[in-house]
Amino acid sequence: MPGPLPRQKSNTWWNQRWAYRIVLLRELSSVAVAAYVVLLLLLLVSQVREGEGAFASHVDVLTSPLLWIVHLVILAFAQLHSSTWFALTPKALPLKLGGRRVPDALITAGAYGAWLAVSAVVLVIVLVVA
Amino acid sequence: MTSEATATRTVTLEVFRYHPERDDAPSFQSYEVPYREEWVVLDALNWLKDEVDGTLSYRWSCRMGVCGSCGMMVNGRPRLTCNAFLREFMPGPIRVEPLRGFPVERDMVTVLDDFMGKLTDVKPWMIREQEQPVEEGEYRQTPSQLADFKQFSMCINCMLCYAACPVYEHEDEFIGPAALALAQRYNLDSRDQGNAQRQELIWSDEGIWDCTFVGECSAVCPKHVDPAGAIQQAKVEATNSFFLSFLPFTPPGMGR
Ligand code: SF4
Ligand code: FES
Repeated sequence: MPGPLPRQKSNTWWNQRWAYRIVLLRELSSVAVAAYVVLLLLLLVSQVREGEGAFASHVDVLTSPLLWIVHLVILAFAQLHSSTWFALTPKALPLKLGGRRVPDALITAGAYGAWLAVSAVVLVIVLVVA
Repeated sequence: MTSEATATRTVTLEVFRYHPERDDAPSFQSYEVPYREEWVVLDALNWLKDEVDGTLSYRWSCRMGVCGSCGMMVNGRPRLTCNAFLREFMPGPIRVEPLRGFPVERDMVTVLDDFMGKLTDVKPWMIREQEQPVEEGEYRQTPSQLADFKQFSMCINCMLCYAACPVYEHEDEFIGPAALALAQRYNLDSRDQGNAQRQELIWSDEGIWDCTFVGECSAVCPKHVDPAGAIQQAKVEATNSFFLSFLPFTPPGMGR
């Protein structure tokens, strides 16, 4: 007699719910962030090797309209990466204060707060150096 | 609306049918079911079985979200059917399928062997190196110690989290959300001493490291167990322990 129906595996699972699509974009966002880091690194290397002139021409390329769009896409991915990570932080790192669990929203808010603080420090450094 | 109109209002149920001795392949069968405000999907299935087709097969028992046996896919999402009101899905149709990722015995009845085996593998029971004699009384616990694992102890083994997990769907070996959460439930219990016995499996590739933190297990869990959280916490512990193992001494509070 024929037996049970074997379990099914779908190759399109990721496109069946928004929650799955966002997870996939979240995972892909690390590629965008990594690519940008490599781009900046190459820029730095070329500056060290070829001097200021090469750097200036690279900056021209970086501020061209096409690269503006690339920047915006990478920024969007970076935002997705950070915000999804902050939303998940309380799950991975639950905190207890006085025997009670700190509410998830507070941990996420703390992460955003730390992010703002670090961004402010970076801004100050950039402004002072410039 | 008059009560008469309520009684005659119906909703379409598209039900997954598969009887291995009769069908070569599964198919969907549509039924018109009376719509009642207070009916859940399970009520509609029971009405079908009583009034229309007695061969319709599915599991259920408590009808109050406690036994964990009535899980099915309702419109593509894993739900306890005793907890899924028809009114949520109006005007319909409502598609009812067996839980995803499991072999199907017949209709909505799935084969549970894989889950049951994995559940046993994580040893979800209290392990003591030495039992305390009864005269010494019960193992006491502070509210704070209870809070560490209470959430993970609420699991009713309904397997909705498995049906929501694409990793479980694709990786045959993955232990899966509920079993890992239950392992964590005992590992975090101050009365338990079985951490070392569970560790090898939990910290293996088939354990926590197969999880990519999709998070849908926690989203569909009817008991707010948060298996995704349990797994991430275990990952943090495993990582800490890996790095701490390079230290020549055990830092205070880290010895288990
Ligand atoms: S963790 Fe939640 S969804 Fe998974 S089996 Fe337990 S109660 Fe069901
Ligand atoms: S019938 Fe028991 S949980 Fe639904």
